[in-house]
Amino acid sequence: MYLNIDAKKAATYDAIVVGSGISGGWAAKELTEKGLRVLMLERGRDLKHVSGYETAMKDPWEFLHRSRVDNIAREEYWASVRTGYTANEPTRYLFENDKENPYLEKRPFDWIRGYHLGGRSLMWGRQSYRFNERDFTANLEDGHGVDWPIRYKDIAPWYSYVERFVGVSGQKEGLDVLPDGEFLKPMEMNCAEKKVKSAIETHFPGRHMTIGRPAILTSPTKIHTDLGRAQCQSRNLCSRGCPFGAYFSTQSATLPAAAKTGRLTIVTDKIAYEVIFDDKLNKAVGVRVIDQNTKQHHEYYAKILFLNASAINTAWLMMQSKSKRFPNGLGNDSDQLGRNIMDHHLNAGASGEFEGMEDSYYYGRRGNGIYIPRFANWGNDNKRDFVRGFGYQGGGSRQGWERGAGMKGFGADFKEALTEPGKWTFNIGGFGETLPDSNNRMRLSDQKDKWGLPVIEFDSGWGENAQRMRIAMMNEAANMLEAAGAKNIKTRNDLTKNPGIGIHEMGTARMGRDPKTSVLNGNNQVWGAKNVFVTDGAAMVSSSCVNPSLTYMALTARAADFAVRELKKQNL
Amino acid sequence: MGSTLSAPTMAAILREPGKAAPSTFSLTADQQTMLADIAEAIIPTTTTPGAKAAGVGPFIELMVKDCYSPEQQDHFRKGLVAVDEASQKAYSKSFVALSNEQKHAILTQFETAAEEEAKASRQAAKAKDVDAETGQIKEEKKKKSDPPVPFFPLTKELTLLGYFSSEIGATKALRYIAIPGRYEGCVKYEKGQKAWAT
Repeated sequence: MYLNIDAKKAATYDAIVVGSGISGGWAAKELTEKGLRVLMLERGRDLKHVSGYETAMKDPWEFLHRSRVDNIAREEYWASVRTGYTANEPTRYLFENDKENPYLEKRPFDWIRGYHLGGRSLMWGRQSYRFNERDFTANLEDGHGVDWPIRYKDIAPWYSYVERFVGVSGQKEGLDVLPDGEFLKPMEMNCAEKKVKSAIETHFPGRHMTIGRPAILTSPTKIHTDLGRAQCQSRNLCSRGCPFGAYFSTQSATLPAAAKTGRLTIVTDKIAYEVIFDDKLNKAVGVRVIDQNTKQHHEYYAKILFLNASAINTAWLMMQSKSKRFPNGLGNDSDQLGRNIMDHHLNAGASGEFEGMEDSYYYGRRGNGIYIPRFANWGNDNKRDFVRGFGYQGGGSRQGWERGAGMKGFGADFKEALTEPGKWTFNIGGFGETLPDSNNRMRLSDQKDKWGLPVIEFDSGWGENAQRMRIAMMNEAANMLEAAGAKNIKTRNDLTKNPGIGIHEMGTARMGRDPKTSVLNGNNQVWGAKNVFVTDGAAMVSSSCVNPSLTYMALTARAADFAVRELKKQNL
Repeated sequence: MGSTLSAPTMAAILREPGKAAPSTFSLTADQQTMLADIAEAIIPTTTTPGAKAAGVGPFIELMVKDCYSPEQQDHFRKGLVAVDEASQKAYSKSFVALSNEQKHAILTQFETAAEEEAKASRQAAKAKDVDAETGQIKEEKKKKSDPPVPFFPLTKELTLLGYFSSEIGATKALRYIAIPGRYEGCVKYEKGQKAWAT
């Protein structure tokens, strides 16, 4: 391709960030604030903060099918419908049409994507927990996967750094298993939750229940209001996009911060499919992209690259980036690229009903629930038939009109009964750690998508450790509800959901101490291509059982700091 | 059919590539009237407006058309016919001409029959599909398509959805606040206060 010098110069930046989701936003913010001119590439469409949230202010009756999935959507969003919520009318506009963006399943995989500016930072679950000290030594202890190249103490200051900017609400508990962070005011538990908390902590020494720790502004500080963010209005419609900027997203927080520097360029609709590696210079010099609408190819150049396309698509991009130095894909000397896919396994737990507390109710809708930190294989709890552990999320509420479908009868009395709140119910569901296993992988298939790019084939399963853990997840949930006096307890262990269902996919380009067994070093640099950094879920070495986004953010801020220092030393 | 293309074929030809075919399910005017009456019998006008005022009849028709399989649509239509036949048999009148008490009696028959039907298929399914020890849903269960939901429970469930998520249902029969502004975990509830709509 002929490119004149000026054109090449115009397409040259200090840094390119591929992806605009939760970690890409952080990379852009940190790098621009440290003085770099940054190009952020997004494969999907532009989506403006507030005005782009097309369903955010709709009332329930404004949805044609009252939020449900119709047959056409069921066919087009064939992967997204598997979650049971992402393809629903209020949020569907933020998820991908799977028919237009197909993938293959050698073993089934629930791949839930959001191709637009901001990525899944707009629809994430917002739960923000730190990994604990043992999460970073777990692989070393039990021999699954490789050892993390960093420890809790290496990332702890970066957790604090990102938490203060993000705005995480939570209650300090002083627990080793769930380290405290820099919290805004905690949200309140309701009466049933207070009752269950007290019962769990009385009957099960070593177990705890705390209010969830979401990235939601309960008591915003100047850091937040300066960006135009406001306090949560308790609508619990977060995943439609928040017009108040109350939860953390790329649009509400990192993008305005990066834009303030005047050094950020955003280019949407450009699918990055190859990192250009210069075999003579022995480093990456840019990326090749295809415009998703015009199908025209472009090249962009930079001194450093941050790959933040999400775990699966970052690995996909690297697998396509072949050079003399890397014939099997960028950084893939170890053959670990695209392997070790992890997620969290869900849909095991229990629910129950409570008699009484009929004179209590709640006001407002809380976009948060309770959290029961891991207790299995922790402290004195060491007689399990599985390794690692699980936490629970859930909460209490009073039954609404929906209970009517399961009640006998109809007519005037039936209607009147449904206009009042029903019994208190309580639900807890586990989030289980999955193990790194090199047989859980993705490949580039021979099939091509509409841009001529390889379609991904998944070949990944939950594994036996998860299957055994799930029995405990189900039974312990029931035990705790029973101890709290719940009635009509129903247990569940639904294995019809596949890896990916937690939407926490990670591990496809793991960090490590040894280039023979990992793709990235302890600073998230690609082994053998030190000016390329990967700081999304791909970098994860183990999964813990806590929601991972906060860790991606902390790793990104840490790596960006390192990258800029190295750049200044002219080491990159 | 001759040389004319059927409506579904035309729709299949005209639709954009990659787009699924829209359903052609529809009800006759008589069936529409009857469906609205059934919904009103389930959620009648009391001190607050009922299902008819909230447009639940047309809503159910739309939902059955857009969200259910052809088998379920067929089952639903047969259910409407059966309700009318039962009315003719018991009172020699069509359903819409019955008194409120008579409508209630006919629909109670259908509710009872559906319970029996559901109980039988639940028992059959339980033995086959759920592993007794682990509580896990067995592999075969995932592939099998479920039998259609009986007419009455489907209509009842859609009536509740259509009514309580309507503007009338949410704001008159229930309490709806679009922007609560704050969350309080424990507030006093007094009998008679409406439940929150969402």
